[in-house]
Formats: sequence, structure tokens, C-alpha cells
Amino acid sequence: MKPRGSDVEDLLRSLAPQVLGVLLRRHQAFDLCEDAVQEALLSAAMDWPAKGIPDSPRAWLITVATRRLIDEVRGERSRREREDRLAFGAPPAELSRFPGDGRPPDRDDTLALLLLCCHPSLTPPSQIALTLRAVGGLTSAEIASAFFVPEATMAQRVSRAKKRIRDAGATFSMPPAGEVDERIRAVCHVLYLIFNEGYTATAGDRVNRVDLTLEALRLARDLHRLRPGDGEISGLLALMLLTEARRAARVDSAGELVSLADQNRSRWDRAVIDEGVALVTEALAGGPAGPYQVQAAIAAVHDEAASAEETDWPQILALYELLDRIAPNPMAAVNRALAVAMVQGPHAGLRLLDTLAGDDRVARHHRMYAMRGHLLELAGSPGEAREAFGEAARRTASLPEKRYLRARAERC
Amino acid sequence: MKYIAIIYGNKEMWQSFPPDVAAKAISEVDAFNRRHAESGELLGAYGLGDELTARTVRVRNGVPAVTDGPYVEAKEFVSSFFLLDVDSERRALDIAAEYPFAAHNAVEVWPILHESGEIA
Repeated sequence: MKPRGSDVEDLLRSLAPQVLGVLLRRHQAFDLCEDAVQEALLSAAMDWPAKGIPDSPRAWLITVATRRLIDEVRGERSRREREDRLAFGAPPAELSRFPGDGRPPDRDDTLALLLLCCHPSLTPPSQIALTLRAVGGLTSAEIASAFFVPEATMAQRVSRAKKRIRDAGATFSMPPAGEVDERIRAVCHVLYLIFNEGYTATAGDRVNRVDLTLEALRLARDLHRLRPGDGEISGLLALMLLTEARRAARVDSAGELVSLADQNRSRWDRAVIDEGVALVTEALAGGPAGPYQVQAAIAAVHDEAASAEETDWPQILALYELLDRIAPNPMAAVNRALAVAMVQGPHAGLRLLDTLAGDDRVARHHRMYAMRGHLLELAGSPGEAREAFGEAARRTASLPEKRYLRARAERC
Repeated sequence: MKYIAIIYGNKEMWQSFPPDVAAKAISEVDAFNRRHAESGELLGAYGLGDELTARTVRVRNGVPAVTDGPYVEAKEFVSSFFLLDVDSERRALDIAAEYPFAAHNAVEVWPILHESGEIA
């Protein structure tokens, strides 16, 4: 029986980092190995749906990718004698068989690869592009369409990122133990950015476009599987799950945004919420809380309330105060104003917003105006609330948010 | 985040550059385009024709009427624009400041609306 295209795709995506890891351990040159693996994945995507999945798909990919790599190096060699960039560890005869057959996949390859793709010498957009390609197994065309940029631009980002990694002298190996935690934080941030980018209000075309939210979740699950004891990775995965669980309720039938308070909670995904709550509960019990864990805990309190009225606001306020102590951030303070308002009254929330007026990072941000509008509405000042919502609508570049904020202004 | 950077000018202004300055500026713009296309931040850069070649289309009662010239009455017109995809507004402004004509006249930077949202 012929395999379904989506089965082949899932298999290829999960094998991509393993195959790249094997090539990198043998041949070092990240840029050439990554290109060779992409070509092998493309060959498989064309061949396997028609001819069937080979008995050892991982070995098939390693063999094909290694052949591509050798072809590329020979071409380069004849052009400009740069073979010294590759240190071939295996004799050619071995390369023509199925290397890697029967060996269990090395779990650490994916982690080392994630750390390399999120190398500190790269800008966030380059880290994102490289992570989705080398670890996620996506093509440049798929990544380009997910970010609405031309394919040539995304291809440039990937090749530039690989060149930077080479120039920085970064190698495919785990960094010193003292640096691992910090480098993992960078990976978490990249996955968070990917999730955020995919967090669209409109339903979107899931068939023809890669869903970045699900992609970030998949990578966060991988990372959690590799480092189950890292509380911040658990926190990040929990935050994604507890946010994703509300997806179906986040837009109405017309595709417009619905605020948390107005969402139909029967449409929340209980199984996903339970998974997220269990993850964050375990992580918080494990040691000092990090910012992702606290944000996940805040999401969990919202998700566990049977109705908006039953939300445990004092607990949410306590969590925001904890977040402010461990990772002060003016945008989190804007959100904290809502918790303050729900516990101590809208005027207390507005006073907190006033203290942020001198902070350039948020003072003119649309979320500051939106929060002010909401609290002014609660305080019984519809005229000022309307003005604030209108200002917020003008300042956001997100179309769904713009429509939502305009509707709020009209309702005041 | 995507931004459009717009450069305005008029015939008098462009003609006021001595030929060697203009040639230098053009090669600087070429280098600017290459540099930022290579980093994957410049999505595209385009120069527009003279305002004499612009046309404005209005449809009234289902009938399109085409008139010569731009719609907006202005002393300066859009002469070129480029599209950026960067990770912050700060970065967009830094790139705009690198654009050679920012030192002569000005570069206007506008955010482009998008469909994605943020975790609220």
C-alpha cells in the first residue's frame, strides 16, 4: 500500500534533525551538510509516496544526503580546492552502503542542532529561519510562505545564517556545561517567537500554509523530551498548550477576535488544558520559578475558571507580582494592571498604568491604550474609554486587533 | 515586522545633484540594496517613473476616467520605495538611516498591516 503524503511528510520532518546530526558528526561543514540533507528530503518527498517508504528510511536519507554532499564537495574541489573544509572520517566504500543502519538515533543531536541554529551570532529572524529548516525539516519555500516573504528572501536568510555560523567558528557540538542553560534560553525565545508569529486571529489556510503555532509546539515538545528536567522548557510548552487550547474560542463565526472574558469556554480543549496544567504544576514544584512558568501559571488560572466571573484574580495578581520580581517587563506591567483592577478596582489599575507613562517601550504602545480603554470602561468613563480604544486601534499594525479595538470603541 | 520606506523628491531636487554626486549616490544605493537583500531583511526596492508618467484612475457611475499625473497635489512625489522585514521598529529606522538619500532629504518609514497577533 502506498503511504499517504502526509505520513511521509511527518516521517521526513522527524528524521530531518537526526540525519543532519549524523552528517555533521562525520563531516563538520554545517552549510554543506544542511544543503545535502534538504536535497535528500526533497528526493524522498518525491519518491516515497509513489514507491513506498524504504525499510530503513533513516539510513536511506543518510546515504542519499552523503552522496549529495560528496558530489558537492567534488564540484567545489575542482572549482577551487577547498576540500580542507571537510574532514571526511569515513572511507568512500562505507558511504555507498547504508551507514547508520541499526544504530539508535542519538537523542542529543537534535538539542545540539537547536543550539547551533539559535547561535548568538544570528539575529532572531535568521535563528527562526534556520531552526525551522534544519530542525523542523521545512523547505525555504514553506517558511517563506508562512512569514509572507518572497522565497528568495528566505533562501538568503538561511544561507546568510549558515555563513555567519561558519564565520563565528561555531561547531556541531554541545557548548560547555556552563553555557548550555543560557543557550537553551535562546532556543526557548526562538520557539516563543515562532509560536507568536503563528498566533493569528483568523482561521487561516491550514492546508496550504505551514501552521507556525503547531510547528512551535512540535519543536517545544522535542525540546521538552530532550530536557525533561528543565522547568523553563516545561513552562514554555505549558504556556503554548494553555494558549493553543483556547484557539477555537478565540475567534467568532465571522472570524473576529473574541476577548478572553467573552469566549465560549465550552469550546476550549480540556485535554490540552489538562496537559498544560499538569506540566506547569510539576515544573513549579521543581524549583525556583522562571518567567515562562509564571506566565503559564497565569494562563492556567484563566483556563481553569469555569466562567470569566469565577476567575481567581487575587491569584493572578500574586503571579504577576512574582513575574515582576523575577523578570521585570513593562508589557507585563500593562497586563498586571488588569489584575490590579479586578482585585483593587479600576482606578488602582489606572494608577499603575500612569506609572508607566514615562517608559518609552510601552507609553505609546497600542496595548497600553487598549488596557486604558478597558479600565476606563470599568471605571464608568465611556467617553474617555472610547477615545483610548480608538487610539489603540490606530496604533496596532495587526488587522484582527484593529477590527476588535474599533468594535470595542463603538460599544462604549 | 514589515515596513515600507518611502523616498520623496522632485525634478529640481534630483537635478540639483552634480553628475559625480548622483553617480556616487546610485552606486551607494546599489550597495545598500545588495547588503540588505543578502541579510534577508530587504524584500524589494523599486524606483518609480517621473510624475509626468503617472496616471490616476477614477470610476464614476461605472465609467473609469483616467487623468494625467498623481492624485495628490504636492511639491514632492514618491520617487522610490523599499520593503523591509525586520525584527523591530528600531532596526527598520537604523536601515532607513543608512539609505544614502536620508542624508540629503528624508526617508519615511511606515509599518505594514498584518494578520498575525500576539499572545495577549
